[in-house]
This record gives sequence, structure tokens and C-alpha cells, in this order.
Amino acid sequence: MATTFKVIVNGQHQLAVDPSQGTLLEAIEAAGIESHFHCRNGFCGACRTVLLEGQVSYINEPLAFIRPGDCLPCCCVPASDLNIEHR
Amino acid sequence: MSYSTFNQTVSNPLLEPMFFGNSVNVARYDQQKHAVFEKLIEKQLSFFWRPEEIDVSRDRVDFQSLTDSEKHIFISNLKYQTLLDSVQGRSPNIALLPIVSIPELETWIETWSFSETIHSRSYTHILRNLFTDPSEVFEDIVINTEIQKRATDISRYYDDLIFYTQLWQTHGEGDVEVLGEKHSVTLRELKKKLFLCINSVNALEAVRFYVSFACTFAFAERDLMEGNSKIIRLIARDENLHLSSTQQIINLWQYGHDDPEMREIAEELREDALEIFMSAVEQEKKWAHYLFQHGSMIGLNEEILCQYVEYIANMRMQAIGFDAPFKQRSNPLPWMNKYLVSDNVQVAPQEAEISSYLVGQIDNEVSAADLGGFEL
Ligand code: FES
Ligand SMILES: [Fe+2]
Ligand SMILES: [Fe+2]
Repeated sequence: MATTFKVIVNGQHQLAVDPSQGTLLEAIEAAGIESHFHCRNGFCGACRTVLLEGQVSYINEPLAFIRPGDCLPCCCVPASDLNIEHR
Repeated sequence: MSYSTFNQTVSNPLLEPMFFGNSVNVARYDQQKHAVFEKLIEKQLSFFWRPEEIDVSRDRVDFQSLTDSEKHIFISNLKYQTLLDSVQGRSPNIALLPIVSIPELETWIETWSFSETIHSRSYTHILRNLFTDPSEVFEDIVINTEIQKRATDISRYYDDLIFYTQLWQTHGEGDVEVLGEKHSVTLRELKKKLFLCINSVNALEAVRFYVSFACTFAFAERDLMEGNSKIIRLIARDENLHLSSTQQIINLWQYGHDDPEMREIAEELREDALEIFMSAVEQEKKWAHYLFQHGSMIGLNEEILCQYVEYIANMRMQAIGFDAPFKQRSNPLPWMNKYLVSDNVQVAPQEAEISSYLVGQIDNEVSAADLGGFEL
């Protein structure tokens, strides 16, 4: 049974995300929310997103510096319910 | 404090700061203070490419079909990029190698600079194909006033750091007179110069390339100058990696993960760092104005390009702890992103889709009719 997590984006969209089905960035895109990215590979930092609540886990090791309270959705998946700001 | 190419002081690199500690002696990577720099090296090596591998021959025909204002845009951008990479191909080495004190960062700096020399060589590859004699283009780089303005700002922080490092390494701390001018040298002042220099390089790689990238990819969107665009995609991928390294350095200082004095300096000079960034943004907007002074090109104009600079600047500034200063929060040029996706990818169907779209655009659009006029 796949687990789905509830992900709130920009305080206005609520998504059900199955972490086995792709990255958090892909989930944001699938929901039709404007996404921000360049490399999609964890090194450029363009997808930087504020992680207000919850935890993520990285499926590829990111090379960009992750400031406390941020995450890089191009290379992570939810590890719990999340509340994020992706603007 | 003179520099030694093999410092015989026994030191523990795990305890050295990134800069201004004992200079590196053994190039060893079995233990690392900041392992991320070796990962950046590996990534950069995995990106290795040679300009000669990219066929730019069709661009010559395309170039002839551009309007005069489009030619001005195209050539001016190449000149500006040539300047940027001329500086970047030497400066990290000259400015930072004499003061770096951990091996993984030393090797990253060399790898980084080397990749910039590939960028420089690629501009010659592009220009040789467009002009029988490209020397006029290269010669203008030193005398073109629009480029000069930018060159001054880009090189001065490097030059200042290099000069004071030389004084410090030959005379030590204290007052020293050179050609009738008195300079007071302290390690603290040197560290400040290093901080400003890294911030200036960060701003350079964060925003200064993106006006020209946007023009290149706007041509590619019209199936024009695609050889050039293929090269610029590779350059853009490298640049995003270089940027990541200066963001790392700045954040490691800010969060006190390295030299504690650099943390103090990062706080003390926060406004100066902000100023460096904001003036790079202003200069880029003026560059957009200069490019479009004789007319714009399809898909781009000065206003939208300035919005894009603001969009990128917000993102880059937040990465080093500033608030986003501009209102532009959504991407005014969404098609840019597909050219900026790193190709070195694993999985993710979306990525495959994006790169196959690009490959198709560049390689498969030549029909027999297109070749009708060629004698083979
Ligand atoms: S898109 Fe580059 S780090 Fe996420
Ligand atoms: Fe470069
Ligand atoms: Fe670079």
C-alpha cells in the first residue's frame, strides 16, 4: 500500500503526494502550480522552497547549500505531511 | 607569510579554514573538511565537453538571415560573454589559490577555472564559423565602452584581493609603501576583501550571464543559431554549478561552519554584499537596454528581459540569505527553463521529455528540402 502525504503549497493548494511516484517538484507541477527550477538535479538551487512544516527525504544528494528551513523539491520527496512555500 | 608550493608545516586540513589558514601541502581527499567541494569536482568532470564536438556550421547561414539589430544583439552578447569568461578563466586561480587552505577546495577552484577556459575556447569556435576573420569582434571587447563599464566592476574586487594578498605575502601585516602609495595590510582587511570578492563572483555567475542566455535561447526558440544555443546550454549548466560553489562558501561563512572571523565579516559587510548584487542587477538591465537600442527581437524586448533579471535575482539573493528585493515572483520567460535543465539526469520522465524535445529541435529538423541548395 502506497502512503500518500498531504502537501499544502503556498497556503492555497492541497495535494496528495505519493513519494514513490516522483519528486516533490513533479507533484507541484502535476497540480498545475507554477514551478521554479533550472537543473532539476540538485545543484543549482533554483527550486529552493520554504519548508514551513514537515520533513522531506532526498532521493539524490543535493549539492546546493540548503539553508535551514528550506528544501530542494527537484530531488526530494515528502517524508511526512508538508506545508511549503514554492514561489 | 610568503606562499610555499609545498608547505612543510605539519597541519591538520580538517581543522583549517577554507582560506587564510596554512596553505595546502598534500593534495589528499581521503578526509575532507567540506566534502561538498569534491562532489562539485566530480559533477564538473562529469559535465566535460569540448566545443569542437558541437557542429555550428548551420549557424553561418542563419546569421546571414538575421536583421541588423538581431546581429547586434547576437554579437554583443558573445563579446560580453567572452569578457566574463576571460576573467573567470584566470581569476579564481590567481586570486584564490594563494590563500586557499583545504585541498578539496583548492582542487575545486582549479577545476572551476579550467571549465571557464573551455567556455572561452567555445566563443572562438562560434565566431570562427561566423566570420572569416573574427579579430574585429575580439578587438572591440577591450575598447567597447558598454563592455568596459562591466569589466571594471567585475575585475576590481579580484584585483584588490590579489594586490593585497601579494603585499601580505611579501611584507606581512603593517604599513607598506608601493610606488609612493601607503597601504596598511592586516589579515582582517584581507578577509574583508576576500568576502567582497566572493560576493562579486557570486553575483557575476548568478545574474550576469542570463540576459545573453535569454537572447540565445530566444533565437533557438525560432530554430535559429542552434549550434550556438547547444554550446550555451552546456555553458549555462556549468555556470549553475559554479554558482553553487560560491553560494556554498558564503553560506558556510554565514552559518559559522568555517572561519568564525568570516562569520563576523559576513555580518559586518552585509550591506556591501547587497550593494554588489544590486549593482550587478542594474548593470544587466542596462545591458538589455544597450542590446535593444536598435530594435528588439521576436519573443524578447527590454522590459521582459529586465523582469527576467529580477526574477533570477530574487532567487539567487534568497539563496545567500537576502530577502527577495523585487516584485517579479513569476517567471516571465518560462521557455527558458527547458534549456537550463541539466542533461546529466537519471530517471524522471519529465526530464527525458524535455531533453528529447530539445534534441529533436536541434538535430532532426533538417529535411531534404533544407539541403536542396547544398552540393555534397
Ligand atoms: S532545480 Fe536545480 S536544485 Fe532543484
Ligand atoms: Fe563560464
Ligand atoms: Fe563560471
